[in-house]
Amino acid sequence: MLEAIAVDCAERTTREINRAIRGAVAEGRQVRVTDPGAQHNLAVAVLRAGEIVIEGSAGYYCGGMNDGATIEIRGSAGWGVGEGMLSGRITVHGNAGNAAAASIRGGTVVVRGDCAARAGVAMKGGLLLVGGDAGYMTGFMMQRGAIVIGGDAGDALADSMYEGVIFLGGDVASLGNDAVFADVTAEDERMLADAYAASGLELPRKLRKVVSGRRLWNFERSDMAAWREAL
Amino acid sequence: MCGIAGLFHKGDGDEPVGAALLRMLGALARRGPDSAGVALFGAGVPRGEVCWIKIPEDASPDESEAIALQRLGTVVRTVSHRRARGLVRAVIERACPVADLTGRVERDGFEVVSLGRRLELVKQVGDPSGLSEILDVEGFRGSHGIGHTRLSTESKVDLSHSQPFWARGVPDLATVHNGHITNYDRLRRTYEQRGHRFFTHNDSEVIAVYIADSMSRGRSFEETLRASLDDLDGSFTYLAATADEFGYARDPFALKPLITVETDDVVAVANEEIAIRSVLGSAGAAHEPSGHVHRVWQRSPLRTGAAA
Repeated sequence: MLEAIAVDCAERTTREINRAIRGAVAEGRQVRVTDPGAQHNLAVAVLRAGEIVIEGSAGYYCGGMNDGATIEIRGSAGWGVGEGMLSGRITVHGNAGNAAAASIRGGTVVVRGDCAARAGVAMKGGLLLVGGDAGYMTGFMMQRGAIVIGGDAGDALADSMYEGVIFLGGDVASLGNDAVFADVTAEDERMLADAYAASGLELPRKLRKVVSGRRLWNFERSDMAAWREAL
Repeated sequence: MCGIAGLFHKGDGDEPVGAALLRMLGALARRGPDSAGVALFGAGVPRGEVCWIKIPEDASPDESEAIALQRLGTVVRTVSHRRARGLVRAVIERACPVADLTGRVERDGFEVVSLGRRLELVKQVGDPSGLSEILDVEGFRGSHGIGHTRLSTESKVDLSHSQPFWARGVPDLATVHNGHITNYDRLRRTYEQRGHRFFTHNDSEVIAVYIADSMSRGRSFEETLRASLDDLDGSFTYLAATADEFGYARDPFALKPLITVETDDVVAVANEEIAIRSVLGSAGAAHEPSGHVHRVWQRSPLRTGAAA
């Protein structure tokens, strides 16, 4: 096992930091990112397996476009953590800002605390596990994948989602347009058990499931009222 | 984009809040290179109020200063005064309504930028480092403050259009805003019909007028911020502060960022955590509220003029 490399963020540009991170990952070393000070764009576009620990808070878009790396943020994360991720795992010990796991296609984002608005917006695959609460319009226009919210969800949950599934442990302020409750299946339960096994979170005891009502997939004149509401 | 930052100390109110806010604004400078400003709340002047007046840019500064003082002299007693860049700071003793003061001073390029017993509000075109040429922000001690770095998107770049905005008419009340107020025209017409005067075409100014109008009609600071969530339209995260209160409000869609960190001693708010970490280090957990939220913190009133 090669020794871990520390990449200190103080007095370095984002480009220098990310170059150092990618270089260390390419050498097969674990990376400790020290003194991050909530800088933006840390550990973006790491396109291979590797282990990156950010020892503090990260700013916007941490781990964006990640393809294979395991990234641990020992603090909070700003907007768009893991945006566009293809594979790998990102764990946020604290809270995440708006649009956590936006547009991810694969991999897992774990937020142990709360997410602000629009977590999982336009997800195209992958998994988002939220330990705490999730804010306004979580899962907005989601297309595939799964979101699990341990706590409560804000207004307009799953608004205009195409496909994919959201599981909810707590209460919801309101469902979004064309979002409906569905039954949790045995297959769902197996998937959830697997998903939580390595997450560091406890699988909520009782989960409700929210999916697309599919009324907005195709335009039907009889659905005009629903369309007016959605648009 | 604009950068907004606020810091609120819960303790005795004798903290290096100016230096801390400057650091926060420095971290946010890239969000707004056009202009910068701070509204700071300290122990205040021993007697009277501080009044900052913008003088015309295109006239002799000496003559303009004399005109400002002459106009002030018709309604208040001026205890002391000095000029710094395009601003005159006067310590005044006022017995008249605020409207009499502003009405007397504000003609042909003169504008009252702020008024208050504890409020010092300075702003200028350029990055935050220039603020110290106007006021010793670096050495300013107090309980709380808010600051702004501006990226102009729809209105011109000059001192008047810079933020913070004083909530014109109400002493010791200021606000900073990031976003766009889309019902600005309608609100502005309404307030102009009520007699409020606007000095800019910056949509953020209407938030200051909104708060001033609401509080002068008897609503509390907290009630005002709550009502603004529905009365203002568009994207907004704004901070506001009075002599003893500090708060934020955020639009229903959560369109502009707002990060908060609260410890036992201090509340720090900014639209990027990087600004908060620049003053708090790793203390406290960062949290971003969802949309349609406001929050107010209060402190017990300080004795005005308690410190020299």
